[in-house]
Amino acid sequence: MNLENELRDALRREPAPVDFTAKVLAGTVVSPIRVLPWWRRPAALALAAGLILGAMIPTAIFEYHQREERRALAARNQLMAALAITRTRLQQAKARIHRQTRHTL
Amino acid sequence: MGIDFTRTVLENQSLVFSLALRFLRDRAGAEELAQDVFLQLYRKLDEIETPVHATWWLRRAISHRCIDEARKRKLRPRIGLDAVPEPAVENRSGDPLLNERLRVLVEGLPANARMVVLLRYQEDLDPTEIAELLDMPISTVKSHLHRSLTALREKLEKKEVCR
Repeated sequence: MNLENELRDALRREPAPVDFTAKVLAGTVVSPIRVLPWWRRPAALALAAGLILGAMIPTAIFEYHQREERRALAARNQLMAALAITRTRLQQAKARIHRQTRHTL
Repeated sequence: MGIDFTRTVLENQSLVFSLALRFLRDRAGAEELAQDVFLQLYRKLDEIETPVHATWWLRRAISHRCIDEARKRKLRPRIGLDAVPEPAVENRSGDPLLNERLRVLVEGLPANARMVVLLRYQEDLDPTEIAELLDMPISTVKSHLHRSLTALREKLEKKEVCR
């Protein structure tokens, strides 16, 4: 007796049960558990959102400061212009008063 | 790229189921384990490149899962080679009783040796392929084969002498 041949004969493949494929396919439908690509996984999305927010916040703060600085500068310039106008008007008024006073005397 | 999952199941179900059945000798358990391995493949479908790769992956997965399952069930101490019953059998080639007796004797082998024998004689893999599949040194595979064949031969001869 050739033991190796006997083993090949005894251990030959056996067909799977007739409903085997159906059961496996049903398992894939019941639990569609195919792994999502990493960029579609919730943890990756949360991480991406965190990174974007992390990058946006300093930018927003910087832009806010810039805007406030520009507004303060504009307000200062307006104030300076207003003061210059007032000084001119005062000088004009003072000159007029001076002229009238001299004329009266 | 990718492979057709349904076709992969159809082409490999006999391979996966038979390995599990011959290893566990438990039809329901083998079916459950085989289904689980196919679902595991389904989850990794993106990583599988060709049908040959799928077959290799399935063979590897079911081999390791069977060995793990046997350890979980502690099959090994339950049935030792010496404890295997010896059904009356006529020693001629192609005899279904002899086949059954051989299957029972193989079942009595330790888990790793049993898987090596199954991959060698069911799947017709050579020792190099078996070593790669089971992450074992080739010398260990050859040793398992040699010792298993010796043990099986002794067991069969002992029966003949008794008769």
